[in-house]
Amino acid sequence: MVAGPSGHRLPKVSEAPATGVTNATHAGSATSATSAARAVSVMSAGTLPVLPALRELLPRGALARGSVVTVAEFGLLILALAAGASADGAWCGIAGVPEAGVLAAAGLGLDAERTLLVPDPGHAWPQVVASLLDGCELVLLRPPSPAQGTRGTPGAQGAQGARGAQGAHAAHGAQVRQRLEATLRRARGVLLVVGDWPGAQVRLRVLTQGWTGLGDGHGRLRACCAQVVADGRGGAAMTRTRWLWLPGEDGRVAVAEPMDVPAHDLGSVRRLQAVNQ
Amino acid sequence: MVLCCPALSAPGREAARLFEQVLTAVTEFCPRVEAVEPGVCAFGARGPARYFGGETALAGRIIAAVADLGVQARVGVADGLFAAQLAARQAERATRRAVRATRPAGARSAGAGPVLVIPPGRTAEFLADQPVSVLAGQDVASQDLTGLLPRLGLHTLGDLAALPASDVAGRFGATGETVHRLARGLGSRPLAVRSPAEDLSVTQEFDPPEPLAEPVVFAAKALAERMHEGLAARGLTCVRVQVRAISADGRESRRLWRHDGLLTGAALADRVRWQLDGWRVPADRPAADRPADSDGAADDGGIAMLRLVPDQVVRATGHQLALWGETVVSDRVARAAMRVQAMLGHEAVLRPVLGGGRDVAERVNHVPFGEKRKPRLPASSPWPGRIMGAAPGVVYPFAREADVTDEAGEAVTVTGRCVVSAAPAWLAADGEPPLRITGWAGPWPLSERWWDPAAARRRARFQLLTSDGRAWLAAVQDGRWLIEAGYLLYGL
Repeated sequence: MVAGPSGHRLPKVSEAPATGVTNATHAGSATSATSAARAVSVMSAGTLPVLPALRELLPRGALARGSVVTVAEFGLLILALAAGASADGAWCGIAGVPEAGVLAAAGLGLDAERTLLVPDPGHAWPQVVASLLDGCELVLLRPPSPAQGTRGTPGAQGAQGARGAQGAHAAHGAQVRQRLEATLRRARGVLLVVGDWPGAQVRLRVLTQGWTGLGDGHGRLRACCAQVVADGRGGAAMTRTRWLWLPGEDGRVAVAEPMDVPAHDLGSVRRLQAVNQ
Repeated sequence: MVLCCPALSAPGREAARLFEQVLTAVTEFCPRVEAVEPGVCAFGARGPARYFGGETALAGRIIAAVADLGVQARVGVADGLFAAQLAARQAERATRRAVRATRPAGARSAGAGPVLVIPPGRTAEFLADQPVSVLAGQDVASQDLTGLLPRLGLHTLGDLAALPASDVAGRFGATGETVHRLARGLGSRPLAVRSPAEDLSVTQEFDPPEPLAEPVVFAAKALAERMHEGLAARGLTCVRVQVRAISADGRESRRLWRHDGLLTGAALADRVRWQLDGWRVPADRPAADRPADSDGAADDGGIAMLRLVPDQVVRATGHQLALWGETVVSDRVARAAMRVQAMLGHEAVLRPVLGGGRDVAERVNHVPFGEKRKPRLPASSPWPGRIMGAAPGVVYPFAREADVTDEAGEAVTVTGRCVVSAAPAWLAADGEPPLRITGWAGPWPLSERWWDPAAARRRARFQLLTSDGRAWLAAVQDGRWLIEAGYLLYGL
């Protein structure tokens, strides 16, 4: 037991990170005492926290441990989901996404010192994810699709191909998914999946998005206003929709009032079709 | 005797490695060698010279042995380290001058290559002719002194040595006293030799070779305990451990694991298991392909020998955690990361380090887990030319080819004066149908490393907004358009 300055007794840290292997480098983000205290709070609760702007989208206002959240395609949205827990002290693993924008994620709040990247997990990705879940509280995964060529292409043709590929790899993975979910529940972690995951508790989509700040040859990208929809099973069965600044002018995620959204800047947005209706 | 290799005095890992080999070669002749600075080593010559039949003969043999490694060396022999170093530096010149039949006082030309031998007792004479500037290499205070002495009328070490010691000490202080002693050929320090490294590795042979991994891992635990005992008895610890496993058919698996004095025997045995798992079953074979009755036995005949070699042995000073400022990687996370590394390879698990730079890709350095985290470029520098504002969510590891055309269908170019040929209207990436560009900004020119022809890059960057609501960071270089990153919330 450690006595705090005002005489309170701080709880003993069961994880005891101070006796582990250290990675001594340039100054980190917090003192080890506060990060140890944060680790306690992260470990003991039944949920992982998210950024304040995203709380209204999720059941219980947080990510439930042992649950799976899916987003159809990779982007800032799924990084924003991970940023809240990471800023609070959780370790985060990103598997199967070589093009993850770590700088953007750091701007949203992800702590680069507590992030592990596995750009190419290969065929053994279920074992890799299971190992990562042993160490990280939150794992962001993009399972490799069998048809590799259809990934990474913009335009309508690409979306069609991606839909087909995701249907194909969802079929072969039922047993794999069940085993991974069992590992997830045992490790009490959260899995964020980019792609199709039948049986996921929460599913997030972006309906409309519009960037502001770019004119015709002048300006620069300032902020993006997006309409995010969350649905799923169980507690998230009710569909919730929110307008968010993702990112806002200051680089952080914030709730947007629809009247703040400049209509002329959103003049030519497309209504994104959900991948699975 | 001082051996000077001018080519190895430059910094660099290659030069350091070669210098290590040179030191090993010299150790064959004389076991007690001191490495004075990169490229220069020194050792006492009296004993070996008597054994090899003279100082010149010894120097000739050493130069020949070092030349086998591809390194040119010069040798100088004198009383005292300072004089010998000067002699070594001048050895080449002395030989050339002797060839032209002029002999400097106190020196003897060597018949066998660039060697300068100052006869014993004649060191003071040799030093007397040296200019005062040779003192500059000692330390910063001597450098100031060497600038001052010529202005006072002392141009050679002989002039300095002629002055009374007390006067020099009174005028210049402690530095002057040291320098005065050097000028007279006194004040040499004994050599700080390094003792020959002993072999601290431990080996276990398996006869007959073990087909399964488990008994090998069990033996590895006992082996690791033995190695730790050996290190601890000498007050040493190792930075890394090399694990070598040799199978019966002659193949070898070698892997360096980070140790830092923190691994127990059981932890090291775990790493041996991960290494064997990663080595004996290829990582890209899906589980279904492995034969059902294999149970971990591979078809390489079994493990014949296991060897643990401590790498980079240092004195054990204990391990103290700092009070704050370090992110503690707990055991749990380290084990998980190392298990994935054993499956996929050391480079497969990375930790990002944010630093400075102008490109989004440049600012994040991916460091394999377990290695020292440092940014590619310092974050504290201002880096003008950086794109301000929100960073892109998707950064392509290899930029994607694209075509940006204007309303007329012509490719958009940027002149050397950063003038766009026409407003971009269509963006077509990777042969996909074109997307209409609804907003754009740029060009933001960037000309980097113009002094290095191999690394020089000149490009102009643009931010493009397409009709589907997504934004892109594109750059044009030599008329080619590349998409470097996408400001994507949701979408490839």
